[in-house]
Amino acid sequence: MAVQSWAEQLKSSKKTALINSGKRKVHYLFADGKEMAEEYDLKTDDLIVRKWRCKSTLGAQGQWQIEVGESLTAAGASLDSELIKENCSCPVFMRKDTKTSFQWRIRNLPYPKEVFSVSVEPSERCCIIKTSNKKYYKKFSISDLDRCQLPLDCSALSFTHASNTLIISYKKPKEILTLEHELLKELKKLQGTSEGDGDCKTQ
Amino acid sequence: MAGQMATTKVPEVRDITRIERIGAHSHIRGLGLDDALEPRQVSQGMVGQLASRRAAGVILEMIKDGHIAGRAVLIAGQPGTGKTAIAMGIAQSLGPDTPFTALAGSEIFSLEMSKTEALSQAFRKAIGVRIKEETEIIEGEVVEIQIDRPATGTGAKVGKLTLKTTEMETIYDLGNKMIESLSKEKVQAGDVITIDKATGKISKLGRSFTRARDYDAMGAQTQFVQCPEGELQKRKEVVHTVSLHEIDVINSRTQGFLALFSGDTGEIKSEVREQINAKVSEWREEGKAEIIPGVLFIDEVHMLDMECFSFLNRALESDLSPVLIMATNRGITRIRGTNYQSPHGIPIDLLDRLLIIATSPYTEKETRQILKIRCEEEDVELSEEAHTVLTRIGLETSLRYAIQLISTAGLVCRKRRGTEVQVEDIKRVYSLFLDESRSSQYMKEYQDSFLFNEAQTTQMDTS
Repeated sequence: MAVQSWAEQLKSSKKTALINSGKRKVHYLFADGKEMAEEYDLKTDDLIVRKWRCKSTLGAQGQWQIEVGESLTAAGASLDSELIKENCSCPVFMRKDTKTSFQWRIRNLPYPKEVFSVSVEPSERCCIIKTSNKKYYKKFSISDLDRCQLPLDCSALSFTHASNTLIISYKKPKEILTLEHELLKELKKLQGTSEGDGDCKTQ
Repeated sequence: MAGQMATTKVPEVRDITRIERIGAHSHIRGLGLDDALEPRQVSQGMVGQLASRRAAGVILEMIKDGHIAGRAVLIAGQPGTGKTAIAMGIAQSLGPDTPFTALAGSEIFSLEMSKTEALSQAFRKAIGVRIKEETEIIEGEVVEIQIDRPATGTGAKVGKLTLKTTEMETIYDLGNKMIESLSKEKVQAGDVITIDKATGKISKLGRSFTRARDYDAMGAQTQFVQCPEGELQKRKEVVHTVSLHEIDVINSRTQGFLALFSGDTGEIKSEVREQINAKVSEWREEGKAEIIPGVLFIDEVHMLDMECFSFLNRALESDLSPVLIMATNRGITRIRGTNYQSPHGIPIDLLDRLLIIATSPYTEKETRQILKIRCEEEDVELSEEAHTVLTRIGLETSLRYAIQLISTAGLVCRKRRGTEVQVEDIKRVYSLFLDESRSSQYMKEYQDSFLFNEAQTTQMDTS
């Protein structure tokens, strides 16, 4: 099954870990040159950040693409270096998981709850957020489910709206829960083995 | 309300009129051939040299065809007979998508890089690879564009752009460059545009259908398009051309793309090059990429030495080799780095691989034409007599000297508040500036009073 193949990939990847400022940071290097970095809270074992980086077709090093967590550059980046940037009043989309569900938060959405509709598009393997006032629209995929090739289930999806923030939750299926549990156990073991790496502890 | 209207309108461009400087060959816009490759007497800035232009046209067809790699052409002729002009003409007619790299023979001698490395970099700059890459673009209909200038007139402008699709609407902050290119493109509310997020390139797709009734006066070429659907930001595959050298640079450094702009690339390892070659041919087989052999133009090719020539011999045999065009004004002379004499200062074995195009000195009529073209290019008006005098000067001294006199005479004329350059102005600058033969005449007469005249060397060794 596909869950296994992803688990295999994770296992075969080259992993480096370090503990720094209350976070367990893990770096995965996959056989195809892709890199993944994760950060877990030491106390709660929550996933704080997961980001990806892969090389462009020509071989240039790409930028880190944030999958889970908040991007650091969004806040203080100056406009000079960039040609065009979304205004700070624009909605900010980010993913922040809990133990039992995937969760997305979209800030800066000052519309009433009735405006929003969230649906699952199983054929395209994505979720769609729509607004009846045509102010916001977003198509996003749940990459965890894509990697394990699990089907999307519309009954698992729910959303709430409070203080200008739309929160969308998708209940994690059983397979994902067990996989994450296994992975975490593996990572905790990994920490023991790589503690001797001097260069990791320098920061 | 009126204030609102004023800010939404994009102000006319006034600060970005680029002034192009006039170079020695800036009047050349092509080879001046018709469809049957027959040269026109005067066309696209080219005058005379019919046979050599025709030959260059044949070469041009071969380059455009793109099948034949590793051919070399030598343009040989006296100084000032249009060798570089022909090469520029080829470059101009190739268009922006075919790589054209020009360098002078002396450029490869550097302390930081070996000669052969400089040559291989030049070779690889002249090979283009057309490849698909995914980029992020923003596509939407302009709802509002607002650019605020600071009241003092100086300082950074602040800009905001509101874009929408059928489903959503977003406000963007604009950087200074983006403001300039938006006003250059004359983007206004109701236009449907795409912006490449990485490069900032803007393309107008047309006007939105919903704005069709806004104005009655509309250009015939105005196209109406539907407002885009879905999300504003999309990932799209675009085809672009990069040179092999650029791919080398990207892959030879960890920080990658930034190295392109820092300038200092240093030497590139041959392993990297081999890897890239293998990858490119893999892409080509998979149909992902297409190779566009371009042109490498080496001016003053007699400045290369024996090692470079033997490198060229070898490099031309590779199937990833561009069409090499060389130019020289030397006759039979010493090959640099040896004691042997050879035609054009190029070893016979390399000469054997070359197609040689000869240029011949210009006739009086042609000289007259060229001077006329240059006068237009340099914005100087010449009276009929002055033109005749200048043509005589061009024939008796050199064409380059005559061309130099155009702008200087133009200045003298302007100083005396004249509108048209007269014979007096030409005489004036002719007496002010010596040409080469008068200068050597002067030397011969006053040799004794110059410094270091004891050493009676026969001739300066420049080969």
